[in-house]
Amino acid sequence: MFVELHSRSAFSFLNGASAPEDLVEAAARLGMESLALVDIDNVSGAPRFFMEAKKQGLRAHVGAEVTAAQGGRYVLLAENRTGYQNLCRLITSMKLRAEKGKGAAAEEEFRQYSEGLICLTRGGQPIEKLISIYGARNVYCELQRHFDRQEEARNAQVREMAARHNLAVIASNGVLYADAGKRELYDVMTCIRNKTRISEAGRLLTKNSERYLKSDAEMRRLFSDIPEAIVGTLNLARRLDFTLANLGYRFPPYPAPQGETQNSFLWQRVEEGARRRFQPLHEKARKQLERELKLIEKLDLAGYFLIVWDIVRFCRENGILAQGRGSAANSAVCYALGITAVDPIALDLLFERFLSEERGEWPDIDIDLPSGDQREKVIQYVYQRYGKLGAAMTANVITYRGRSGVRDIGKVLGYGEEELDRLSSVVSRWGWRDPEETAEEQFRRAQCDWNDPRLLKFIELFQQIQHLPRHLGQHSGGMVICQGSLDSVVPLEPATMPGRVVIQWDKEDCADLGLIKVDLLGLGMLAALEETVELVREAYGEEVDLAHLPQDEPEVYAALQQADTVGLFQVESRAQMASLPLTKPEKFYDVVVQVAIIRPGPIVGKMYHPYVRRRQGLEAPVSLHPSLDGVLKRTLGVPLFQEQLLRMAMIAANFTGGEAEELRRAMGFQRSTKRMRAIEERLRSGMNANGITGETQEQIIHSITSFALYGFPESHAASFALLAYASAYLRTRYLAAFTAALLNNQPMGFYHPSTIVKDAQRHGLRVLPVDVTRSKWRATVEDKCLRLGLNYVRGLREPVGQRIVEEREREPFRSIADFKQRLVEVHKDELRQLAEIGALNFLGEEKSHRREALWRSELALKPAGPLFATLEPETEASPLARMNAFERVSADFRGTGVTVGVHPVALHRKHLDALGVIRASELKGMRHNSRVRIAGCVICRQRPETAKGFAFYSLEDETGISNAIVEPKMFEANKLLMVREPYLLFEGILQNQGGAASVKVMRAEPLRFGPELIESHDFC
Amino acid sequence: MYACIHIPKAEPSAQEVLVAMASMFSPQVEEAGQGTVIVSIDGLQRLMGPPNQIASEMARRGAERGLMGNIAIAANPDTAVLAARHLRGVTLIREGEERERLGQLRISVLPVERETAEVLERWGIRTLGDFCALPEAGVVERLGAQGLALWRLARGQSTRPLRAGAVETSYAERMELDHPVALLEPLLFLISRLLNELCERLKSQSRATGEIRLTLELEGGSEHTRILQLPFATRDARALLKLMQLDLEAHPAGDAVRAMRMELAPVEPRIVQNGLYAPPAPEPEKLELTLGKIRGLVGEGNAGSPEVLDTYKPDAWRMRATPPGVQTLVHEEKAESGVRMGFRYFRPALAARADVRQGAPVRVAAAGVAGQVVECSGPWRGSGEWWSPEQWEREEWDVELDNGGLYRLYSAGGRWFVEGSYD
Repeated sequence: MFVELHSRSAFSFLNGASAPEDLVEAAARLGMESLALVDIDNVSGAPRFFMEAKKQGLRAHVGAEVTAAQGGRYVLLAENRTGYQNLCRLITSMKLRAEKGKGAAAEEEFRQYSEGLICLTRGGQPIEKLISIYGARNVYCELQRHFDRQEEARNAQVREMAARHNLAVIASNGVLYADAGKRELYDVMTCIRNKTRISEAGRLLTKNSERYLKSDAEMRRLFSDIPEAIVGTLNLARRLDFTLANLGYRFPPYPAPQGETQNSFLWQRVEEGARRRFQPLHEKARKQLERELKLIEKLDLAGYFLIVWDIVRFCRENGILAQGRGSAANSAVCYALGITAVDPIALDLLFERFLSEERGEWPDIDIDLPSGDQREKVIQYVYQRYGKLGAAMTANVITYRGRSGVRDIGKVLGYGEEELDRLSSVVSRWGWRDPEETAEEQFRRAQCDWNDPRLLKFIELFQQIQHLPRHLGQHSGGMVICQGSLDSVVPLEPATMPGRVVIQWDKEDCADLGLIKVDLLGLGMLAALEETVELVREAYGEEVDLAHLPQDEPEVYAALQQADTVGLFQVESRAQMASLPLTKPEKFYDVVVQVAIIRPGPIVGKMYHPYVRRRQGLEAPVSLHPSLDGVLKRTLGVPLFQEQLLRMAMIAANFTGGEAEELRRAMGFQRSTKRMRAIEERLRSGMNANGITGETQEQIIHSITSFALYGFPESHAASFALLAYASAYLRTRYLAAFTAALLNNQPMGFYHPSTIVKDAQRHGLRVLPVDVTRSKWRATVEDKCLRLGLNYVRGLREPVGQRIVEEREREPFRSIADFKQRLVEVHKDELRQLAEIGALNFLGEEKSHRREALWRSELALKPAGPLFATLEPETEASPLARMNAFERVSADFRGTGVTVGVHPVALHRKHLDALGVIRASELKGMRHNSRVRIAGCVICRQRPETAKGFAFYSLEDETGISNAIVEPKMFEANKLLMVREPYLLFEGILQNQGGAASVKVMRAEPLRFGPELIESHDFC
Repeated sequence: MYACIHIPKAEPSAQEVLVAMASMFSPQVEEAGQGTVIVSIDGLQRLMGPPNQIASEMARRGAERGLMGNIAIAANPDTAVLAARHLRGVTLIREGEERERLGQLRISVLPVERETAEVLERWGIRTLGDFCALPEAGVVERLGAQGLALWRLARGQSTRPLRAGAVETSYAERMELDHPVALLEPLLFLISRLLNELCERLKSQSRATGEIRLTLELEGGSEHTRILQLPFATRDARALLKLMQLDLEAHPAGDAVRAMRMELAPVEPRIVQNGLYAPPAPEPEKLELTLGKIRGLVGEGNAGSPEVLDTYKPDAWRMRATPPGVQTLVHEEKAESGVRMGFRYFRPALAARADVRQGAPVRVAAAGVAGQVVECSGPWRGSGEWWSPEQWEREEWDVELDNGGLYRLYSAGGRWFVEGSYD
């Protein structure tokens, strides 16, 4: 029986054309009992290979082709766990000392990490050396036959070598793809790798299509003259004892103090924290904590909780805001330890969603940290605490998707830039596409030549390459920690970012193989909140404790109910603004619901409208079944959260917590029809047993099966709602500080800084312009006003900005000439930019205007030479005219992206009045169904896939934001205008019900107001 | 005084006409870019009257030649150019009126560098009038000498002299024949006259040619154009005539010729000294003549240097036109160990009939090659160019026939061939 022991997958990154799963599937189809994956310098594909093999009942052998410094590659297979560990260490060792994507192992390294490894050779390396490294018993001579005349000569040499050294011979097909049809894709990959076109690749390409996974019969036929080579494969396969099931990963124990066990130490920390957080520590909380702690002890997870607690403690001690999100918020222990901020008992959250005995997998704790330097500090702390080889970031496998595939394949097939743009436009990511449009129509519409024979090839290859890995990136925040050394579990690589180390597996691989991961995620809003607190302390002399904000601030709810939410976390989007006046949140839990309701789940599952109607009192809040009242009461009988669906299954169909979790996973990302059907049957039988039958049963099943896929966890919504509330509270109370922090932490959120500034101004905030005599690098609060920072000056380098502040504090600048003379590092473009935006207007004794500053700056830029160096600066007035309002606004946008002056649309108000255009602020007061005209600069264009071709627009004028809906036909008929014009006028029918106003567009026209000032936020 | 004539969006061919027309007014003509000429009209007034009359005359003569554009007369060449380029029709700017007349023009009409343009834009300077209003000292201090030059230009105070240039030599001629010529020999006689004259011109300008374009206007109204691209630069009229003869013999006009145009592309002449150690080679002219003869005999695509292609397709090559000099055939073969046998290709491969048993040939018959297969190895599979219409796929077999011969067979598209024999 033949076993293929030398196959590469697409994880050899452009050196193999099939996904690991496809290789396993093909092997299973051919009846192989096992298969080995040997990708080049990595084991990145091994987990997916292993998981699929497990499913198909095959043994998955692990190995790699390791690049040798002296040339060629060693084909190595792990015989046992020691061998696997050595393979990981060998790859780590060579990778960590080379730059990303490179590296080759030296002979000493092969020697050092040789135990437990088996080496296959085709004569590329001196056989004596291989025998001396691995021992004769562990070196196998490999024969390959691809119907190639030259290869036979090589095989003859290999056989002779085997006979001379008494080595075993095995056959293999050096597999590069699962089936012969993928040869073309492999050739294309070769070209991408070599950066050449296919017509010029010549003999870099493969000679024929023979390197696919061949059956036992085919291989036997090929090697009918050397039957021992076939038998040899099975013998070797049976020697290969190691699979990833036997990984040997252990999470590090937390070093508990003398005389304490991890469990006792955890109990103490929880006890201590519980008293602080549950005030008072009530019986229900105590019981829940006890239940959780017992389960943690039983599952031997105390170390894990303590390690996460340790990270959060580090954050607290260093003044870094940290908040757990996701399912960890279901746990009272996490709340007591300060990992999460939501009280799961008060919110009655489902613990099983976080941890269950049945699930047999590690819990997942995600921690949100302020994005930027603070998060980096925490990551570096973890590295330092567990050692460089003890902790690493998880990888992110960058796969071919859409445009990247178009460009790479298109270039290989010889398409020019213009044609590539056309092809890209067909797979454009922006917006919705008519599902009935055929590929041919799409390509024709993009003016691609449908008769070009390359095009069909292109489409075929483009489809084949989708989702295949392109290279390994770094996950945004997942960290894996290991007792001892992580490099014996999985190879480590340097990341592009200095000081970062990445493992070769992504987070799904880690979850599949039971590696514990802590997600340290960067959240812009957290950084903004943290900065707001600091600014409040500095400017108002008040201390804000984010953990204990008053939860019933009426102004917060008033703002939410009026959809006055620009800049607020999670509730600021156009869709949220349309919904808030209808749902009218009145308490914290309403915010939790609000965060979760504008999601694909409730919208696709058709839960949104029933909830809104019930919220408005237009429909009775009746549950699907009386037994579900308790679960659905809080959401007015409509299931909105994942936890509710799981509870429904538990109550209506007697699912255990673990079974419910199994249900969630079955409907999760990779849906399996088979698993779904089994669960549906289990649901039915459970409900039958409880007497829930007929229509009610169908409805419950429908809601569970259609919605679980997209459901948003309640705990996650609660964590986010806390941040949403905190952002609303801080904006209400400390508008200047909050807006400054928002501006300092861009890009984040939904709106461009210019919209944030204008909105803050409409709320009464005085925003002061950039001024070199007052501004710091970041925006600050100055007498309860907001002062824009130098960081908003486009093209101004940070060190220069910091120097301006330092120099000014040393001694105020006397004039522009003095400014330039003392700051030689200021480039001319920087000085001109500062002058043009008015930042130099206040230099000297008298306030000048911008053109005057520009006139003087130009003089300051021309060195006078030593003869005139001591002359007094020019005091004569400039001959240049002052900028008019439009020029000032344009200069502001060009130079800073924001303006503190008038809104650009206000400059054209007279004209708009003449056209009968009404202001955004007047819209809500207009009659429903009246015909109106609105106009403004487009700040958001949106065409979500769930909206069946409808497009949503937000137009901003000097009074606020107005929303418009464009029907698919209207959009298609005016596509260029709709996609490109920065200012638009819409005429249409006003839909103004329940406080949410939007215009259904009947006519659109561009407004020629000059250059595009505000960038629109376009997405699907 | 200077007159500037500007033809907007002038075709390259119009430039020659424009210069010729301007030269009729004065020998002092400056070409100021495509479609623009400046003429000194000092002294013309006594002949033709006041400046506006001169302008009218220029407009009239231009219209006769199909040239429609603007004319401006001013005291200095630059002002005349600015006005002609940016003010429509006929403009007369008297000395002292420049600032006023040019003031309305946009600042972008000045030849300003990007950085200066940005500075002026920031200053809010939109027109030449805005720019002129700035104080001279202020402009010099900030924009330097270049800024001052622009400022003066904007005020119409430029003082440069006219840069009258020599007229470009043309290497094109047209000859109309008294009566149509159908035979090659008398035609060559006329071609030789044209070639001699054009080669003389090349010689007078120390130039040579790398391309001859001959257009024969035929009696039927059509044209027959031949372009000879020479791999070397020459002005040897005899050699060029011979080449032209060979080409016309290979590509006859097909009808009687009533006129012909010839144009030589001028290039730098060839440096004739060869390297001391360069291997002796025939003179390029002679080599090209010989190759021309061969091409005439065997056909255009059948002469040149064979080039082995970088592909797995056996015996794939293409013909490349031979460049001058010694050619080295480079084809890197992958190093193969072991004994290699010589192989003789049958060109073309012999169509064969093969009896196949269990997938392998057992008997082969082709022209001159036939017999039972005693021993065979294979199949050796190859395929490629799957992305193009030249896609190929084949299976090869090495066979020993009962007559003792060793051959390579291949099958492609269901047909068998004997490709060659092993030595």
